[in-house]
Amino acid sequence: MEKRLIKLTVNGRIRELSVKPNDLLLNVLRNDLQLMGAKYGCGIGECGACTVLLDGQTALACLILAVTVEGQEITTIEGMGDHVQLHPLQQAFLDHGAVQCGFCTPGMLLVGEALLKENPCPSEDEIREYLRGNLCRCTGYAAIVKAIKSEAKALEI
Amino acid sequence: MDLQVIGKVLPRKDGIAKVCGKEPFASDIVVPHMLYAVTLRSSHPHAEIIKIDTSEAEKMGAICITPDEVPDFTYNERTVSIPEKTYCDRKVLPRRVRHVGEAITAVAAETEELAFRAMQTIKIEYRILPSVLDPVKAMEPDSAALYEDIFLGKQQLKVKNNIACDRNIVIGDPEAGFAAADYIIERDYNLPRIYHHQMETKTVVCQPEANGGITVWSTTQTIHNVRQLLGQIFELPLSKVNVKKLSIGGSFGSGIQMNSTIPICVALALKARRPVKLMSSREDDMHNHVKFPARIKLKVGVKKNAMIVAADMQVLVDIGAHQINAFPLLGCMSGWYASLYKWQDFRFEGTAVYTNKVPGCAMQGYGNPEVNFAVESHMDVIANECGFDPIEFRLKNYVGIGDEFWGQGPTVKSIIKSCGVEEMLKVGAEKIVWSERRPCQEKTGRYRRGVGIARGFHTSGTGGPKPGEVIDYSSATIKINEDGTVDVLSPVMDLGGGTGEATVKVVAELLKVPYDKVELAIVDTRTTGYDVNTHATRGVYCGCGAALHVARQVRTKLLEFAARILEENFDDLELSYEPEENTTIIHVKGFKQKQITIGEVAKLAQIYSWGTIAATDSYRQKNCPPCFVAHFIEVEVDTWTGVVKVPRAILLADSGTPINPDMLAGQLIGSLSRGLGYVAYEATENDLETGELVCGGFITDNKIPTSCEMPLLENIEVYFAHTYEPTGPFGAKGIGEAALNSVAAAYSNAIFNAIGIRFYQTPITPERILQALEGGISG
Repeated sequence: MEKRLIKLTVNGRIRELSVKPNDLLLNVLRNDLQLMGAKYGCGIGECGACTVLLDGQTALACLILAVTVEGQEITTIEGMGDHVQLHPLQQAFLDHGAVQCGFCTPGMLLVGEALLKENPCPSEDEIREYLRGNLCRCTGYAAIVKAIKSEAKALEI
Repeated sequence: MDLQVIGKVLPRKDGIAKVCGKEPFASDIVVPHMLYAVTLRSSHPHAEIIKIDTSEAEKMGAICITPDEVPDFTYNERTVSIPEKTYCDRKVLPRRVRHVGEAITAVAAETEELAFRAMQTIKIEYRILPSVLDPVKAMEPDSAALYEDIFLGKQQLKVKNNIACDRNIVIGDPEAGFAAADYIIERDYNLPRIYHHQMETKTVVCQPEANGGITVWSTTQTIHNVRQLLGQIFELPLSKVNVKKLSIGGSFGSGIQMNSTIPICVALALKARRPVKLMSSREDDMHNHVKFPARIKLKVGVKKNAMIVAADMQVLVDIGAHQINAFPLLGCMSGWYASLYKWQDFRFEGTAVYTNKVPGCAMQGYGNPEVNFAVESHMDVIANECGFDPIEFRLKNYVGIGDEFWGQGPTVKSIIKSCGVEEMLKVGAEKIVWSERRPCQEKTGRYRRGVGIARGFHTSGTGGPKPGEVIDYSSATIKINEDGTVDVLSPVMDLGGGTGEATVKVVAELLKVPYDKVELAIVDTRTTGYDVNTHATRGVYCGCGAALHVARQVRTKLLEFAARILEENFDDLELSYEPEENTTIIHVKGFKQKQITIGEVAKLAQIYSWGTIAATDSYRQKNCPPCFVAHFIEVEVDTWTGVVKVPRAILLADSGTPINPDMLAGQLIGSLSRGLGYVAYEATENDLETGELVCGGFITDNKIPTSCEMPLLENIEVYFAHTYEPTGPFGAKGIGEAALNSVAAAYSNAIFNAIGIRFYQTPITPERILQALEGGISG
């Protein structure tokens, strides 16, 4: 299969990539750009472990062909913050014990970030509804909801 | 006791890496020149493989392995039990498949896509055999047989009527007990197969090394058992098999064994002479293991004064196509039953039967959620029929302090030395306002609320005064660095629950070193002593027990070296933490002026060429204390739709000293979600004609609870009982599995209180509720 050259912005950096038309965005991020934060969980868009932000909106990288995001801006968890400067929501996840095994964490953080951009002061029900597509088997979601809620409150002030 | 770090909420050691997406999981491991592998799995539940043609795949440049090219070794994935109690029936690749989705061959190629395309060209010729899908029919004499022979240790055994193993235990004279009873209550309970649904699918990377050995990264709860079993299967010296410890994306029992994909990947890598990565698809993963189902018949005899006098439990477990841990499972189920209430005279009969289904394996609770659902539903049934208060009835009969606890079946027992049952039932009753709970007969209208209670426990580890049928010990290495920081090398896997933080805290507390100066080293099987497994809720009690044992040795060395430097007697010195300088000092007791920091001691020991201040040792806990839990759950049943909501849940735990209170709460709340999944939504059953999974392996039709099924934050209350376990590290016991065990029964008891219908089968779906409401019969 012939490869195509695509240009996109990943975590603020313009990248030119040679991809096959059937390459999934998730595999391109993980295998070609070594951005391992987006995870494979189901491959059919049911679990949210592969969540990334596409022009600021949540998207499931396991369902998107890389060629279709030409020219778009992608944010992965690696673009959210790092150990030198954590994003406030990352800090909130740590403060509220929202991390157990950590496999769903990148997706949860990006969904939380998208929600707070869209709705700076969501109610608990709105947070839960927004997280619905992201599965977590460890935490029972409470600490994750609490962490997002704490950032919502911070914005409220 | 002045605790600096134990019981404090402190950041997870792996937290920053995890929130930044930088924590490596097995599925993130990339090795230069690595090939990608996929497995070809059976589409038949039972068939002999006549021929495998891989020629087309090989023409495409793929490396293939077939049963002829892998070691002909019969093994059991789980090697926690002692060898003579381990039943072995599986091969790396089988010549006869015994369930839909069993791996037959595997393919490695330069890309996953090429591997997949090559796999699609492989032609398999099967001879279809009659399949066995019903566990009761499986035991009939004319039923087809899954196995002719299996092995128990090295001893060959004939399999009769597909019975994999059984365990029968009688204590006292149950018949005499029943004869003396005023009431005898008997019911049948039925718990389904469900899927672990750990977020990371089973993954393995194997790199062949130049010295003829292998390095392995895998999703597992036990790096050392993976190492030993791979060494056995591939006849490699253990010094040349190295298994790396790394984070795992959830487990819940799915990695208690050396999963079958691991030796498949090793065989591919050895053939290809290149590193190979085998990452299971979600569908393949679901065809690998499920939780053990159980059919439980329970009969209990009670006196008019609410004292139990006899019990009889019969259990049938449909284990599927392979024995992973059926024999210890039956033993544990007998123990969970024996240790819930003082039955006086009782019987347990457990049978595990083979069927052509996905193999059952341990999943959080290991038979305890099944037994607990039966017993705790039964306690409610008895209370209701005999007119006892459900809480009083439990308090009259529960196994508590000073009683014997079967931590791992009949061979691993210890005496209970700490118990918060009474406190938890009292506090829970107050919080839920039990005194205002009304009977179901008084409830009318579309939405009906009910409150249920159930209690339970799990063991903390599988230690006991005598070695039993299971191996249990841990190891640790601790080293004082020359600046006073501390390295801890622990083989104990942290499955996400915070075992790693607990280990750091225990070491920091004993050595009086601040938490942020103690780090967990990146380790593997080559750099650590043996640890059996992060299973049986043993991470904190046994793993931290070993760390504490070694930390004491390091403290002795520190004090010995300091005594030489300060020219003081060893017995006159003590360790203290100096908050202003943020350092740990050794000083003369009662005279702090004469002091030296532990960093200076380590540095001087290096300069004087005395050596490094470090210790390595192993430690076995000689008890298996129960960590108790209680659940008070409120439900609201919509009698028009059958949909149930959980407006309120009170989760109580007796975990001894809470080492990580935030993680302890996280375990309880996480278990509430998994427990709701178990009781209300999940079932991973097979089509009884085709043997296929009804959901096809897709999570679309086998969903776990989402964020919306949980009670609101303010309606979940967590309470820790005030207990201290004298045999545990700083008074701690476990929590992991206990947290789940009584959720299902509390929920079901609440439904009974809401609508007056008793469910004996889970999941209690809206469909089942509506059917029962319409039919007016019990579910």
